[in-house]
Amino acid sequence: MSAPRRLLCLLVLAGLATSCHRGAGKGDGMTVAMMPKNKGNPYFVSCHQGAEKAAAELGVKLLWDGPTETDAAKQNEVVEAWITRGVDVIAVSVENKEAMSTVLRKARQRGIKVVTWDADAEGDARDFFVNQATPEGIAGALLEHTARILGGKGSFAIITASLTAANQNEWIKQIRLQLAAKYPDLKLVDIRPSDDDRKRAFDETQTLLKVHPEVKVVMAIASPAVPGAAEAVKQSGRTDVKVTGLGLPNASRPYLKDGVLDSVVLWNTMDLGYLTIHVANAVGRQSLKPGQPTFTAGRLGALKVAGDNVLLGTPFTFTKENVDNFDF
Amino acid sequence: MPLPRLERLRGRLTHEGVLALALAIEIACFAALGSNFVSAGNAVEIVRASGEVGLLSLAQTAVILTGGIDLSMGSLLGLSAVLMGAAWHDLGLPMAVAVLVAPAVGLAGGALNAVLVSRLGLPPLIVTLGTYSLFRGIAEGITAGVRTYTGFPRSFLFIGQGHLPGGVPFQLPLLLVAALSFWLLVHRTPVGRGLRAIGFSPEGARYAGIPVARRLASVYMLSGLMAGVAGAVYAARLGQAKADAGTGFELLAITAVVLGGTSIFGGRGSIHGTLLGLLALALLHNGLRLADLPAELAGIMTGVLLIAAIGANRLLSERSRP
Amino acid sequence: MPDSVRRALAAYRREVSVAVALLALLGLLALRAPAFFRAQNLRDLLVGNAPVLIAAIGMTLVILARQIDISIGSQFAICGVAAGLLAKAGVPMPLVGLGAVLAGGALGAVNGALVAALGLPAIVVTLAMMVLLRECLRWATEGAWVEGLPAAFQWFGLGQAPGRLAIVVIALLTFAAFAWGLGRVAAGRAVYATGSDPEAAWLAGIRPRRVVFTTFVFMGGLVGLAALLTSIQFIDVQTGAGVGLELKVIAAVVVGGTSITGGRGRLVGTLLGVALLGALGPALAFLGTEAHWERALQGLVILLAVTTDTLRSAGPFRHAAS
Repeated sequence: MSAPRRLLCLLVLAGLATSCHRGAGKGDGMTVAMMPKNKGNPYFVSCHQGAEKAAAELGVKLLWDGPTETDAAKQNEVVEAWITRGVDVIAVSVENKEAMSTVLRKARQRGIKVVTWDADAEGDARDFFVNQATPEGIAGALLEHTARILGGKGSFAIITASLTAANQNEWIKQIRLQLAAKYPDLKLVDIRPSDDDRKRAFDETQTLLKVHPEVKVVMAIASPAVPGAAEAVKQSGRTDVKVTGLGLPNASRPYLKDGVLDSVVLWNTMDLGYLTIHVANAVGRQSLKPGQPTFTAGRLGALKVAGDNVLLGTPFTFTKENVDNFDF
Repeated sequence: MPLPRLERLRGRLTHEGVLALALAIEIACFAALGSNFVSAGNAVEIVRASGEVGLLSLAQTAVILTGGIDLSMGSLLGLSAVLMGAAWHDLGLPMAVAVLVAPAVGLAGGALNAVLVSRLGLPPLIVTLGTYSLFRGIAEGITAGVRTYTGFPRSFLFIGQGHLPGGVPFQLPLLLVAALSFWLLVHRTPVGRGLRAIGFSPEGARYAGIPVARRLASVYMLSGLMAGVAGAVYAARLGQAKADAGTGFELLAITAVVLGGTSIFGGRGSIHGTLLGLLALALLHNGLRLADLPAELAGIMTGVLLIAAIGANRLLSERSRP
Repeated sequence: MPDSVRRALAAYRREVSVAVALLALLGLLALRAPAFFRAQNLRDLLVGNAPVLIAAIGMTLVILARQIDISIGSQFAICGVAAGLLAKAGVPMPLVGLGAVLAGGALGAVNGALVAALGLPAIVVTLAMMVLLRECLRWATEGAWVEGLPAAFQWFGLGQAPGRLAIVVIALLTFAAFAWGLGRVAAGRAVYATGSDPEAAWLAGIRPRRVVFTTFVFMGGLVGLAALLTSIQFIDVQTGAGVGLELKVIAAVVVGGTSITGGRGRLVGTLLGVALLGALGPALAFLGTEAHWERALQGLVILLAVTTDTLRSAGPFRHAAS
């Protein structure tokens, strides 16, 4: 046998030998593996901060990982890795329901508890869903603001994330349903993608204002799209156009103060992360069962539980008046 | 004194040999760092996750051997998956028939690349850059981005999620058959030698009697076919077909091919090298995850590994290309 | 047609075909959506595409030298963040600008060193750098934007109208300088020589390695400038910016007539390519095309541009390897 080949065999044997000493190491505290849709998004970063606080409070070991770009296939692979590694609870913000549900069911079969947060999987694929706001609620809040700005009648347009983004498409679906049912005098003129790029949102809004001068509200439903759209409206000098949407307070603050951005719908993302860890911990210790009416989550107090959904609350609106109370 | 020893060492070391060594080190490190890295369950998952990229890498090797490149593979994967879903769901075709739509669409897409590269003589980089946008764009256009095809029958999902007796994932025999076929084609047939000759010198190959245009056309069509098959496997693995399926897969395939020692300029390379490169990539991503290391590190290390690989390749090879 | 005009048209054949395509698009707009030509829209297009033009100048140099750089998107993000961080630290704006350009130049120098000094293939090196740089940035910033910048950041503190004018003027001056330099200065001609035949260039006394290194450094510096001119249009810096920039810029350069095999092309063509692809998106919106068909149409335009160019050129079959 040649020297390099001998070396090779030796190394593989060494690897196998050392691996025998490593089991699925479980410490005293619970291990919760938490995954956002994408790690590089400030929205999820603030959820992480809340989660870390809860983990510290509860003595939970928190593993935080996920794809660096939204990618349903990668999310699957990360969950598979956690199943192999062995964790107590998996908490996922699901990029894609169908894709993830299979692997989450597998985790449950292996005795790992599964909790979803921010975006749900199929009902039988998880123990609990930490729900910050329903798509119906989000769509309702967005349309309420739009209708108020337009005085009940007029044209608006949507700047979304990417055309394939699951959450945004769900909200748009709800918006269309509610438009038909409750707002017959509002017209949705166009939907343009921003691909989560602020400059793209800026360019699309700029063009939109010229192609459809009748649009008086731009609804930006992705966090980079809010400042992008607001800046475009500001630079165009069109004081008759206002922006609303779904975004983060820090990026929205200057535009809220300035009046271009009327309102931003969201929820407290840090509370969402915090609550998720509390729920995960409780589910792991089997102290939270479906059907109980409330759940007490540390500093958040008693929250409503609807079947297997733990509700953070209703969507919250950031305005010029209250935005300074938040920092994320 | 040192010079003859270096020459002997160089003679012994092939790129594939060094890569195998690096793989062994990788396995040893991750086995020590991660939990359950060396386990049957993990091995199954590694094979499953690498299924589609593996098929693409095999085809990409053949393309790169001819001195070309195919950047449109990921987009064609997405388009094939979507059209297969549409055939089953919207047209109501039985799944057994619809599943054939994926490779058919792949073949058609590959044919477009083939015509532009072999008949019109356009540079593959630009052609596949254009079709990269075109194929993905068609998938987005048809679905309006919104439409997702799901709810496939269990029998179809078996392709991506099923286990054969012994716990073997379906992807393994599929990959093995594909790998063997490509290996035979590239290393044991005159066609394969022809591909290498084309990569080395297209004019020379033509004068040697090799039907260059035909070979090029077939290599791009094969690439398209693999993308189509990968599209079906992807949809089966995830249980859904969406317009953004396969985004970035072509770059992963190219990474695996280059890691495996195939020269990006063409003319030199091997299928077994690509398989080793694919394994190295898959183990890297998997091992880092099991060691609780962040996902960004995987990307960083992939970049470093790639540069190290071509650096090593350069040191080991005698030939210099301008 | 007088002989001199005919000869000029033949010499500028590639650029003329792009110009014809652009005129066709503008003609269609004049008929169907004349609102496109309002001053505000034209001005917005100029300002919006100025950074793309600057990056495209750099890419033209790189491609002329028979290289390629697919890492410019990641470089763009890093330079933008650098500008933001410098401004936040209280550095005066002119130095912020210099800082962004130098950061880009440094990144370009890394690419240049790997390609020119070590002789590694540009496409693989820049692929590795693209992933490496992007993931390093993500790891370091966790996607957090650079916020809380001083008021003098937006528009260099000049205000919207003068700021926009400054952006367009800087872009046009940069273009003019490089267009003149490429044609007239010996260093510029050295780029053409290196790209068309490095060995002949070496025999003629040109140092191809130095030329290649310099083109990468210029590419980086110009990307830094582009990042600066984009960032100052806003009040904060997005760390995830620039994704897909390389595709956009390479497409514009190639559509503009620069040959991917090196040694042939003009900056005038690049200008027309940037204009055509930059106007395409808004043009489609004005013409009422739905957003989900845009990508497919862009891919089609790229393919048509390179195809018609080849069809018009009478010449023997050539297999253009990447």
